[in-house]
Amino acid sequence: MKQTRQIAILYKVIFVCLTVVPVMAGLIYALLYSFGIIGIMNNGFTGKYWIAVLLSDMFWVSLGYSLYIALVSITISLVFALSISLFIKKRNITISYLFYIPLCFPAVVMAFYSFQLWSKSGWISRIIYQIGGIKEISSFPDLTNDTLGFSIVFTSVLMIVPFFTILFSNLYHSEKLHELKKVAQNLGASSFQILIKITIPVLLKRSWFTICLFIIFVMSSYEIPLLLGKQNPQMISVLTMQKLQRFNLNDIPQAYTIASLYVMITIFVLTLLSIGGIKKRFITKRRAYA
Amino acid sequence: MLKKVYISLGVSVVLFPLFLLLILSFGKQWSYPHIIPKEFSLVHWISVFQLNSTLPITILKSLVISLSVATIVTAVSFFSAKHVSYSVHRKKWLFLAYIPYVCSPVIFAATLQFYFTYTDLSGTMLGIIIAQLFITYPFGVIIFSNFWNDNIKSIEQLSTTLGSSPVQTFQKVVFPLSKSVLLLCFFQVFLISWFEYGLTTLIGVGKVKTLTISVFQYIQEANLFLAALASCLLVIPPMLLLFINKRFVFTNQQIG
Amino acid sequence: MNDIVLDIQNISKAFQKEKVITEASFKASRNAVFSILGKSGSGKTTLLKIISGLEQQDSGSLFLEHEEISAIPAHKRNIVYLYQDALLFPHLDVFENIAFGLRLRKIPKKDIVKQVNKMIFDLQLEEHSHKMPTQLSGGQRQRVAFGRALIIKPKVLLLDEPFGALDVDTRKQMQQLCKQTILNYKITTVFVTHDLKEALLMGDQIGKMENGVLKTFINQSEFLNDPTTGAKEEIEFWKNIYKNEERF
Repeated sequence: MKQTRQIAILYKVIFVCLTVVPVMAGLIYALLYSFGIIGIMNNGFTGKYWIAVLLSDMFWVSLGYSLYIALVSITISLVFALSISLFIKKRNITISYLFYIPLCFPAVVMAFYSFQLWSKSGWISRIIYQIGGIKEISSFPDLTNDTLGFSIVFTSVLMIVPFFTILFSNLYHSEKLHELKKVAQNLGASSFQILIKITIPVLLKRSWFTICLFIIFVMSSYEIPLLLGKQNPQMISVLTMQKLQRFNLNDIPQAYTIASLYVMITIFVLTLLSIGGIKKRFITKRRAYA
Repeated sequence: MLKKVYISLGVSVVLFPLFLLLILSFGKQWSYPHIIPKEFSLVHWISVFQLNSTLPITILKSLVISLSVATIVTAVSFFSAKHVSYSVHRKKWLFLAYIPYVCSPVIFAATLQFYFTYTDLSGTMLGIIIAQLFITYPFGVIIFSNFWNDNIKSIEQLSTTLGSSPVQTFQKVVFPLSKSVLLLCFFQVFLISWFEYGLTTLIGVGKVKTLTISVFQYIQEANLFLAALASCLLVIPPMLLLFINKRFVFTNQQIG
Repeated sequence: MNDIVLDIQNISKAFQKEKVITEASFKASRNAVFSILGKSGSGKTTLLKIISGLEQQDSGSLFLEHEEISAIPAHKRNIVYLYQDALLFPHLDVFENIAFGLRLRKIPKKDIVKQVNKMIFDLQLEEHSHKMPTQLSGGQRQRVAFGRALIIKPKVLLLDEPFGALDVDTRKQMQQLCKQTILNYKITTVFVTHDLKEALLMGDQIGKMENGVLKTFINQSEFLNDPTTGAKEEIEFWKNIYKNEERF
């Protein structure tokens, strides 16, 4: 018993060292830097970098733009994933393999592919030119490095749709939706009513936590907007990195201000997400004692 | 009939990226408005197998990093997850694991860069491995936390009351039951490490070049054909794994 | 009957300041079945886990054949704990599940085959010996779990609502089979259930657990006459039905 307890403590110490310590150490360093306490430019405590970041449009625009990209990408992806998974319904091994293939693509490669597809000299532009849709290369619209983030959304959707399609197909079976549909039919619901009142709500409700996590993932994505984004507005990770790597030394404390804000916002959102879950868990834990 | 059209449309959407990248990797010249490159060559592909070129070394380094990270994370997070899952405060521990898991790796790395420089770990393979542990270990714990459920706990306890020591319980019961989830974690972590760019660049400070970093470099140098080749090299190993068993590449728990 | 195998003295246990068991004591005689009646949440599962060594009591002593066993780890106590879920090892077939404990003890292969086959025969599982757990019915799974425990001849067998998940008919069959097999193999058993009739049917000795407090009875008639056990109510209920029936 004593030995078991010691081993448990050892693994918990490892856990803390590999998760809590890095996050805290990073956050503390970023905070100290952002308040001018450490770093090349340090002249003692100052709140000027925080004021600069919080009062400038740059941070808020970047945060808003990241949220916009995330919400648009996720919404489009969910529409596609729901349609495809409901279209397939029955498990078909060949088709399901198909959805696993895009999961083998890292963000860098997907972004590179999107660029080759949508840039002015890209593949789509060439096709349209060949069929006479455009007369010269410059007539093709700006679909990469554009303000609306078309190619960023396209790439994100490409990466997210397969994931949610597989998730929904699995849920469709694990939640016994087929049987629920029969029950609803028996109660007099039309196909459309079943879709709106049963199928979609069940699938979305069971996956809402995953959807929320994906919004955070897309918001903080780096490689895709780095290759396909514009100078302004920039997504949050790209903005932070650019400020960090600029020659202007005044930008570094600002980069750390944004980094600390970002980490704190992430922790805050995660806390909100987990509050519901903790209550549920508490009930099951209690039951386990009896 | 309509269904067949949809399916073939789906197949082409999915397979086209690979097709385009493969074509480009053999390309030599691709001037506007040609749909496919005008000239093809095997030069780039041959360079992969030439020992004096940089690509084989890059591949080897990437492999060493990803295999090390995957092995360490699978072994350590498996047992950590057990103690976390069986703890009364399971949910709180898991919450702590979710923070580094959802944080942007590149911003996370930015806040940690100083410590790596201070300990002379930045720019080394060891530094990259440690940094990648910080983002993959929590992921491993999250994957395994679903394995260590009440059912496994009861089976373990039963095996104990039947007379098996902790070592025997592990060998004869827990290990056979966890094989598939262990493999899953190993391959998932391998892929995260294999694909990782932002954090690896920051901690590697340009001194350690992985395959993913190479893709980026080729893109920045506007070397389209080499970028396509490196992309193919990045994508092919996971596809092989997928071919062996699709469960390695995907998991419900991957994100939640 | 007076040969005491298991002697539980003043066991108490709390989880995070919540008392689950308060000063529980009882004695189980050799080759007898001690039934404990109790609702879910009454602390009976925790009590069995403490006896088996899976949980540690906060205070009190446990004697197995007059030896204090609190410090002995679960795998060395030779007390098997079974509960509602059969918990067959999903990677092993019926034969290997039953053989599990014997293989741990490094018994010669020949003997293992002989003993396991006899057990399979006793439990009427001959047709199923090479089936995997998922191919079995609930009752069959429970029989395998039972055989897997009995074959290692434990000093004490702890059964925690073993038939809770079975349908009425299977439950009846299992009660008989269980009682008979325990008798044949001569194993001291503690049997926990929330079912009044089952407690009476299975137990040679009987106790009742409520809110962590265990009350033991000298014999069945004391149990039947105690107003808290619910036995009296049950008897009255059937008597009334019978009377009404006669009246019509």
